[in-house]
Amino acid sequence: MTRYKRQDPEITRRKFINVAMGTTAAVGGVSLLSALGSANPVFRLTADKMPPLEGDILVHAEESKEGRPIALADLSDQLVRAWPMGKDENGADVIRKGDPNNILALYRFPAGEIVAPTNLEATVDGQVVAYSDVCTHAGCSVSDSDINAGEMRCPCHSGQFAPKRGAVVIGGPPPKPLAQLPIRQDGERLVVAGFFLTPPYPYHNNEAEWDNLKQEVEEALA
Amino acid sequence: MNQWLDDRLHISRLNDKFLRKAFPVHHSFFLGEITLFSLIILILTGILLALSYEPSNSMVVNSFDPGTADAPNLVPAAYHSALKINAAPFGDMLRRIHHWTANIMVAAAVIHMMRVYFTGAFKKPREINWWIGMLLLIFSALTAVTGYVLPYDNYAYNTLKVIYSIAASIPWVGEWVAQAAFAGKFPGDGVIPRVYGYHIMLLPGILLALTGAHMLLMIKQKHTQPQYAKRVAYKKIVGVPLMTQQTPIMLMLTLLFAGIIVLFSAFIPVHPVEYFGPPSTTPIDNIKPDWYLLWVFGVLAIIPGIEFDFLGGNINSEFIGAILLPTLAIGAMFAVPMLDRSRENLYYAENPTNHPVRLGIGVAFMMLLAVWSVAGYKPELISSGILSTENANTVLWIATFLIPALSYFFVQAVVRGIRSLREADERDRTTHAAHADD
Ligand code: HEM
Ligand code: FES
Repeated sequence: MTRYKRQDPEITRRKFINVAMGTTAAVGGVSLLSALGSANPVFRLTADKMPPLEGDILVHAEESKEGRPIALADLSDQLVRAWPMGKDENGADVIRKGDPNNILALYRFPAGEIVAPTNLEATVDGQVVAYSDVCTHAGCSVSDSDINAGEMRCPCHSGQFAPKRGAVVIGGPPPKPLAQLPIRQDGERLVVAGFFLTPPYPYHNNEAEWDNLKQEVEEALA
Repeated sequence: MNQWLDDRLHISRLNDKFLRKAFPVHHSFFLGEITLFSLIILILTGILLALSYEPSNSMVVNSFDPGTADAPNLVPAAYHSALKINAAPFGDMLRRIHHWTANIMVAAAVIHMMRVYFTGAFKKPREINWWIGMLLLIFSALTAVTGYVLPYDNYAYNTLKVIYSIAASIPWVGEWVAQAAFAGKFPGDGVIPRVYGYHIMLLPGILLALTGAHMLLMIKQKHTQPQYAKRVAYKKIVGVPLMTQQTPIMLMLTLLFAGIIVLFSAFIPVHPVEYFGPPSTTPIDNIKPDWYLLWVFGVLAIIPGIEFDFLGGNINSEFIGAILLPTLAIGAMFAVPMLDRSRENLYYAENPTNHPVRLGIGVAFMMLLAVWSVAGYKPELISSGILSTENANTVLWIATFLIPALSYFFVQAVVRGIRSLREADERDRTTHAAHADD
């Protein structure tokens, strides 16, 4: 009787609505993701955030003496913390503590005690040595060991380093030694002789990014 | 007035549905309620704190010790406002109450969870509420950690640094994630406003939503019934209704509990910001997280310094210790309801000794976390001479495996003992009954 057989549409209404809703939800959701981008602010490399550079003067980091240049006589086998102090674009002195990872550890040991793998060329007379004071594990500031004199211990998870031997790891979780900073003596003052010899925290496992940063610094200074 | 409201809002239906919910009477059923009261106290004291707290890490002159005109004593505004809160009447108390309640909330939640686990209350049909409970536990810990950071003293600063570097240790995306989460390279100019937003808006919002879902499911599915209910009225819900019998019990409990917290706060200080001072490069010796995160800290202390590249991502011991292992532990807890294959709905709370394997595994898991928490004290163990630098890791790793295993077998032995006692009792009773019949 029926002449016309009812043709099923190619797509049911339910399916159409589901697909339409799914698409809008997906597009809407993804577009909202872009808002996440704003959570991550742009980084500007200002003078106070640059890593220690050739020519920077080492100054005391301790609160009571902050900013005073460090003299050889201030140093001993007890750790002394230092900031690098350079110049900003107007030539004014700037302590580079905008990046707290710039904190340095200075030691002075009797001649002959500092041995390889320390780079002796980068020390002052094989007696004064400078390292990044930031633990390669989770970035805590490393102190003198309270157990063995002449060693360093991280207060966070007890990482241990040997400052007489290139700050190699002698215990605990840190994956890499502390980075050594080349220094030289200039009259009464201690002066930075170049970039860290190895990538410091937080670049210790990302050499490429450390090279990028160095390049960025050189471009900014040029 | 009830009539007036009822005419418009039909609240009597609400009454029938929710307010008459029967609450079983057993002390272990109050643990969840204590968690709930803690949340309420935290929100109230948190709002009061937020009225005086200044969420900013810009430097301001310290009004308590301004320094001189050419060398002003600058401290972060957040730290300064914490000093001011401490100096205000009752201000220090307010901070202490907030902090103590946070600790107690996590503790109550953990013990509540132990009750649910050991009595089998997570079984069908209550799996969903177990998962919501897990989320509540995780988000409570996150809320507490972000709260910790807010006073922005040296302690908070060092904690934040460790949290940042843990986030940054995720392979491939870590650096981006850490910067997006904490407003740029550490310590970003906007880090305190960011953490403040998490602590007082995002995380409490999530906690409230999850708590609401937890309560609704509990009302819909009803508590598991304590064993005595089986004897009183089999397969009937036994308990006292929320209105009006349970409410006075709850009120009394709240007041008692609030009193205890105030006592704690009055006598035991927490997080003395003046003592730690503003953020500085001087590290804090033997810095520790709160007790419920100590186990993660312990894992970090004993894990060897490994590091390798995998498909271009860097996998290091920090990621393994602070993210991978905890994820596995938490994943195991999430999986608990799926290990139960029964299809029946659970009606009565089970006696833990009838399920010795479950009991043993639970105890072993807790012992594992306890061993790791002790490992968090590794530096103290070494400096007090109990362990040495050389053997500390070995000893602690052996303990990691040995102590949970031993406690598992210990539990089995105890359960067997209890059972044989129970059977002996049973025999006694039957013989006595037989004698009485004569
Ligand atoms: C829901 C669970 C919550 C937990 C577990 C929690 C935990 C904490 C903790 C441990 C602290 C550090 C306290 C100190 O040492 O001073 C803190 C601080 C703070 N919390 Fe909460 N909190 C919670 C909810 C809230 C809410 C809802 C608000 C606000 C509406 C809030 C506002 C604050 C403020 C302003 C501070 C900084 C106070 C200061 O230390 O000066 N909290 N929180
Ligand atoms: S941060 Fe130094 S050992 Fe973990």
